[in-house]
Amino acid sequence: MAQGHQVSSYRIYWIVWSILLIVTVGMMFLGTTALTTALVLVLVAGMLLKASLIGGYFMHLRFERASLIVIVAVGILATAGILFFLIAPDGLRVLNSSSWGDLHVGGGR
Amino acid sequence: MSRTSEGLSVESVWRGGVSPFAVSWRKLMMWLFIITDGLLFAGLLAGYGFVRLASPQWPNRAEIFHLDFIALMTFILITSSATMATAVGAARQGRMQTAFRFVLLTILGGLGFLSCQAYEWSKLISEGARLSSNPWGVPLFSAAFFIITGFHGSHVLTGVIILSVVAGRALRQRITPEGVELAGLYWHFVDLVWVFIFTLFYLI
Repeated sequence: MAQGHQVSSYRIYWIVWSILLIVTVGMMFLGTTALTTALVLVLVAGMLLKASLIGGYFMHLRFERASLIVIVAVGILATAGILFFLIAPDGLRVLNSSSWGDLHVGGGR
Repeated sequence: MSRTSEGLSVESVWRGGVSPFAVSWRKLMMWLFIITDGLLFAGLLAGYGFVRLASPQWPNRAEIFHLDFIALMTFILITSSATMATAVGAARQGRMQTAFRFVLLTILGGLGFLSCQAYEWSKLISEGARLSSNPWGVPLFSAAFFIITGFHGSHVLTGVIILSVVAGRALRQRITPEGVELAGLYWHFVDLVWVFIFTLFYLI
């Protein structure tokens, strides 16, 4: 947040809190039903919405300079993306194509 | 020309200068810590995702955990984040007594969350879950559970300790608003991580 930025009211925090609770209850409801690909995408969208609200309003990232927002978002999201979408599939490929398949993870898809 | 919330032009934001991020060095260091700590959890959750995809079967979480109880834990943590944000707002306005009260509420929330986690761990351990084995047929399920929630729980415990120090200093009027804000950043990060664990481990 900008130096010296004053928050005149705490109301925004409790509005965000209410939205977080509503989204959480909705996700809980969806989580108890049979999972489909579309449902998983909805749950991930809900997760990212909650993360954005916490980061943006509770951590005040929304009011920071763009340069700080970029290093936080790129630093975490890009690395997590690389881990999930590049390294994990490669790990599965190695697991399925070698004697590593004897590991107790079940042998892959 | 587009402008930031501070009224600075985009060019001046990206030019660098004496303070390229327009935050104090303490706050910048806290953000860098949060980024690196976030990568730790990104690695843990990516590892969990890998194990999950590599396993032909995975236990049904709804049969192992009481999702209502997990929702209660989530409610406690989200509420403690709201009380912490309120404490930071009060500290910025110079209302240290109000900040102190809301930090205390946040500590209570943290202790409540830890109590719930201790109960959940005890229940699973009593049912035979261990780091390397469990009754549900997929050993890595309990390994992922204990490691991910254990790391997160240790962060909550650390947060409670940090907030206790902040509360003590606020009571003696020996803390700056920035000190409260930095503790708040850490606490919100702990909440943020739980949002991912809650969805990826318990719901999906």
